[in-house]
Amino acid sequence: MKRYHEIAGDGGSRVLEQVADQRARIAEGLAGVRHLVAVGSGKGGVGKSTLTLQLADALTARGLRVAILDADFNGPSQARMAGVQEALVVPGTEKVALPRTRSGIAVFSMGSLLSESEALDFASAARGESQTWRATREFALLGEILASFEWGALDLLLFDLPPGAERIVQYADYLGPRTSFLLVTIPSAVARAVVGRSVAALSKAPNTLLGYVENMSGYYCRDCHAVKPLFTSGPGPSPRSVRQERAGGAAEPAGLGIPCLGTVPFDPELARQCDLGTPPAALRDTPVGRSLDAIARRLLDSLTPTPAADRTPREHGRPGKEPEP
Amino acid sequence: MKFLCVPCDSPMTLRTVSPPERGSLSVVYTCPECGYEIAMLTNAYETQIVQSLGVRIGPAETAAKSAGAGCPFSAMIPGVDAAPAAAERRDGGPDGVGGSALDWTAAAEARLARVPEFIRPMARTGIERFARERGASEVDERILDAAREFFGM
Repeated sequence: MKRYHEIAGDGGSRVLEQVADQRARIAEGLAGVRHLVAVGSGKGGVGKSTLTLQLADALTARGLRVAILDADFNGPSQARMAGVQEALVVPGTEKVALPRTRSGIAVFSMGSLLSESEALDFASAARGESQTWRATREFALLGEILASFEWGALDLLLFDLPPGAERIVQYADYLGPRTSFLLVTIPSAVARAVVGRSVAALSKAPNTLLGYVENMSGYYCRDCHAVKPLFTSGPGPSPRSVRQERAGGAAEPAGLGIPCLGTVPFDPELARQCDLGTPPAALRDTPVGRSLDAIARRLLDSLTPTPAADRTPREHGRPGKEPEP
Repeated sequence: MKFLCVPCDSPMTLRTVSPPERGSLSVVYTCPECGYEIAMLTNAYETQIVQSLGVRIGPAETAAKSAGAGCPFSAMIPGVDAAPAAAERRDGGPDGVGGSALDWTAAAEARLARVPEFIRPMARTGIERFARERGASEVDERILDAAREFFGM
């Protein structure tokens, strides 16, 4: 009797063929993107989404073409923070257009599609068993978004991942080794320990782990313009690391065993502007903005050079800017 | 999944997929050698897992052309419209707060088909609202291009 692998094809169900087609469409859709960077953390609430948007803005300010895919379909926040909550999904002649922030960052977020009183829901007759299929369905949706929207010629596509060490590994598997990872933590021993597990999980994947950013690393007081401690239990950056960073070098790894690309102080004004969907550019000339600019520079330094993306202007889009040398 | 006719030791081929019924698909395979047929009947969980891959079962020419409204698996049968999930009913759908559905030109409809199926109803509703606000009685490519320009896309 024949065995599975002795039979060519699947008799016409075409399931594997369609999955392969989806992969090919995704690859084609991302062909003009130079770098795929996933921003994640095993821990929730450390500011991944805020950091992703602010980092995108810092990269855009350096002349790079950047887009964000808010992959947190169940808890999307990029639409509100980026000010594209009311944007429509509009099909172009080839692909579906992406809304943009005023500074030109293209953003896909389920928050542009679902009101904040709605939860993402998939029709199913297998209710009560969503643990068996839900993640698969969400990744299929991610694939459709990657394949259908106008990513065009980009220097960086940033993925804002949902929290969870296991989710990071799932995204590494789905997006493939071309995607590099940037982790986010805060100066709390608890958060650092959880993010440490993400580092361990990713170490088994072929993807490049660029390093981590320590968010909420101190509190920026707008009255005295000093950065004060926010967490006292965590290790935080070592004094040597701070000195090194002030001198323009990368901060020192502080316990996670991967490079620290920088630290970002907490700024209440940033939180307020995120709630309002105000363009991040307003904070560029602040300690937060300067920290993010330094992180953007280190991030670019850590990315493996790739051939330049197609410079063809997007349909109805603005011509791409040349990246800094 | 592949099916083998044991007496013939020959791979069987998919013949028909019946419209989903209460979460179950009926997929008939036939042996090209002896004509023997079997039917694979899935339970809702098996159907859902395959559907979650975002695939359709069977060639379009042999697929069922109609299914009960609201069947969550209709999207996996070529030629059958997907049922709206709760998330897809934003703004109340065509008869919700956005008002009654507008006509779409064939060209505009073809462009809409490029939107991922899951979010297509939301896209349709939003664009119709945009068109209605501008006094348009139908959605054509000019409306789509105007929406792109309006939102800085």
